[in-house]
Amino acid sequence: MPIDCEDQELLEGFLTETTELLEKLDDDLVALEKTPSDTDLLNQIFRSIHTVKGASSFLGFDLLVRVTHKTEDVLNRLRKGELLVTPEIMDVVLEATDLVKTLVADIKGGDIVDREIDETVNKLIPLLSEQAQQPPAEPAAEPTNVGAGIEPPAAAAPSASSEPTSAAGQPSAQPESPTPTSPLPPAVSAAPAVKKAAPPKPADNKGGDDLSDSSTVRVDVKRLDDLMNQVGELVLERNRMIQLNQDLQGGSSDHILFGEEFGKLTKRMNFVTSELQMQVLKMRMIPVEKVFKKFPRIVRSLSRDLGKEVDLQIFGEETELDRSVVDEIGDPLIHLIRNAMDHGLETPEERLAAGKPRTGTLVLAAVHEGNSIIISIKDDGRGIDTERVGRKAIEKGLISEEQLTAMSQREMFDLIFLPGFSTKDKASDLSGRGVGMDVVKTNIKKLNGLIEIKSEKGLGSEFILRLPLTLAIIQSLLVEVEGEVYSIPLSSVLETLRVDQRQFHVVGGQEVLKLRESVLPLIRLEQVFKVQRTAERDDFCYVVVIGAADKRVGLVVTRLVGQQEVAIKSLGNYLANIPGIAGSTILGDGRVTLIVDPVGMIDSGDTAAAGR
Amino acid sequence: MSNALAPIKLDDVRSGEQGELIQLVSFNLAQEEYGVDVLKVREIIRMPTITRVPNTPHYVEGVINLRGKVIPIINMRKRFCLAEAEYDKQTRIMVMDVGGELMGFIVDAVSEVIRISSSEIQPSPAVVSSGIDQECIAGVINQAERLLVLLELEKIFTQDERQLFSNL
Repeated sequence: MPIDCEDQELLEGFLTETTELLEKLDDDLVALEKTPSDTDLLNQIFRSIHTVKGASSFLGFDLLVRVTHKTEDVLNRLRKGELLVTPEIMDVVLEATDLVKTLVADIKGGDIVDREIDETVNKLIPLLSEQAQQPPAEPAAEPTNVGAGIEPPAAAAPSASSEPTSAAGQPSAQPESPTPTSPLPPAVSAAPAVKKAAPPKPADNKGGDDLSDSSTVRVDVKRLDDLMNQVGELVLERNRMIQLNQDLQGGSSDHILFGEEFGKLTKRMNFVTSELQMQVLKMRMIPVEKVFKKFPRIVRSLSRDLGKEVDLQIFGEETELDRSVVDEIGDPLIHLIRNAMDHGLETPEERLAAGKPRTGTLVLAAVHEGNSIIISIKDDGRGIDTERVGRKAIEKGLISEEQLTAMSQREMFDLIFLPGFSTKDKASDLSGRGVGMDVVKTNIKKLNGLIEIKSEKGLGSEFILRLPLTLAIIQSLLVEVEGEVYSIPLSSVLETLRVDQRQFHVVGGQEVLKLRESVLPLIRLEQVFKVQRTAERDDFCYVVVIGAADKRVGLVVTRLVGQQEVAIKSLGNYLANIPGIAGSTILGDGRVTLIVDPVGMIDSGDTAAAGR
Repeated sequence: MSNALAPIKLDDVRSGEQGELIQLVSFNLAQEEYGVDVLKVREIIRMPTITRVPNTPHYVEGVINLRGKVIPIINMRKRFCLAEAEYDKQTRIMVMDVGGELMGFIVDAVSEVIRISSSEIQPSPAVVSSGIDQECIAGVINQAERLLVLLELEKIFTQDERQLFSNL
């Protein structure tokens, strides 16, 4: 049935709210299982689920109320110490949370499906009656909880909010009442929504399939204020510019004075606009926590499925990055975590036999480094067995025997990224189809990121992802190729060299450069981009070493122009997907410059190598 | 009336006594005169600096910066396999809306906006001058002194070419 809700704004507030609470809930529940005695945490969980219940009963989502109500009752018993936190109880509570998520997703989808909720609810009910004197919880049973102490209004609110009349009286106050200490968001968003109820705004209720929606952003008020200040300054500078122009036109200012003033103005404008740019970028930034907080839950269920004991440690979840990047890294990270759990970590018995502590450690860390973010997934499991990897790759026909013998250790690690590669003989529902690592590689490449693998047999492995902070504005290196200027994303540039072309070697038709200990394949941009040669070939040229995901190539260019921050402009549908070109940008003089696609370049290097 | 003799090709033209009044922008290309629907033309600009884009069909001249937006430029002479000519003071880029996206088309000169009645549009003869593709000719307009070829630029890229563009 379609949702009958007269106030779209209220509904949207509810959805944003609930989604946030639920995301946090997962994390908290898993944390609770580890520290069952943490009453603060338990109370927080209780409040979250209670808020969801209050809001949904106010909006009349009955199914949601039934599930949350029972869950709340179970949590309440946990809180009062009538039940103890056990993995079994947590399983049920988590299942109920999942159901709540499904129901919320339905609401978001704009259509309430009559879902079967009894199965989950019935699992909750025994927890209420078991070793208990009070009858299976019903709304009427609620008031008996009042004495429970920590928050007296807690029990009063649910009963009140289930009565439409009193709820209508002070709608925004209801969900808030059980949480006098920590102001949960509902009141904040619900209150203005109620006030603005009169002008019916045709809000679009498209809604995504998944719970994490990216259509709205919550921005810190402080950041908005800062932004306003910057805009104010920009307006001042604009006025100054108009004034300067008027003075010059009117003859009250000569060119020398104008030049001087204009110089000052340019500096200030430069300052204000870069500040403004930073502010706007910051608004697009969200903490990586948004992705990370899904993982404790995933790790928990995986460890139960696999019979492994894992201690997940998360660092740097407050690290911020652009939402476009955040949206893209979820999947690769899940695959990497699964991989570490399934292939990396051993079972407790194996660990003990290997002289390691029974519980494996999985460390997920994020940190800023210059203009990129580094995310690492590190386990202390068995590490990558390069021999076995190599053998498997040959078995699966991905590489030949000769290729394997010529491989460095690093290249062997890279084998695991090949599509279709798996060390598992049989695909389980967890892994073994040889897709996961390919997904990781593709997504990371798409983001212009790099992957590095460190692994030592028997000691563990570490996957290091290096990602750009944002995708909209990038630092780029401008290079000249026979008179044409191209821009290379600096995030992919590892180093630049000035070399004598006589140092180039040709291996199997491919030009290469011996760079320290490794052999770097070279790509001449003038050939790839079919640039007409304007000048005689100089002996010296520049090589820009770029890397994407796990590969490196050198681009041969005529000259380095400089470094510039550029905004990426799309080339439109007609010119999308030109090999080697990622987009375009406009330089200071108004000319369009094409942005080189490092990933495409490296792939074309691959095909060139494969074709020989 | 002659409108019975002229099957009308433009989709949006309703049949009527005189036909609907439509406005066309006329431009020149290798001594021939062509017209496109004025509503499709966003602006007409002089030749700016064009940035070449590698690995594109030969008639894609490159891209330009149109007030902060990057748009592709098609050389009409090359597209229609006409003799190439030097750009001169008359050369213009007609920025048009093609299937929801802006594109620029280089033409020899843009002359004027003319009004015609849709009933004046005649089907194109089986063989039209030079190498212009039949698909994008919506008809010809035969007025006293002049012959104007009416183009539909949506069809300038055949299905295959669109595919080619997005799969390059």
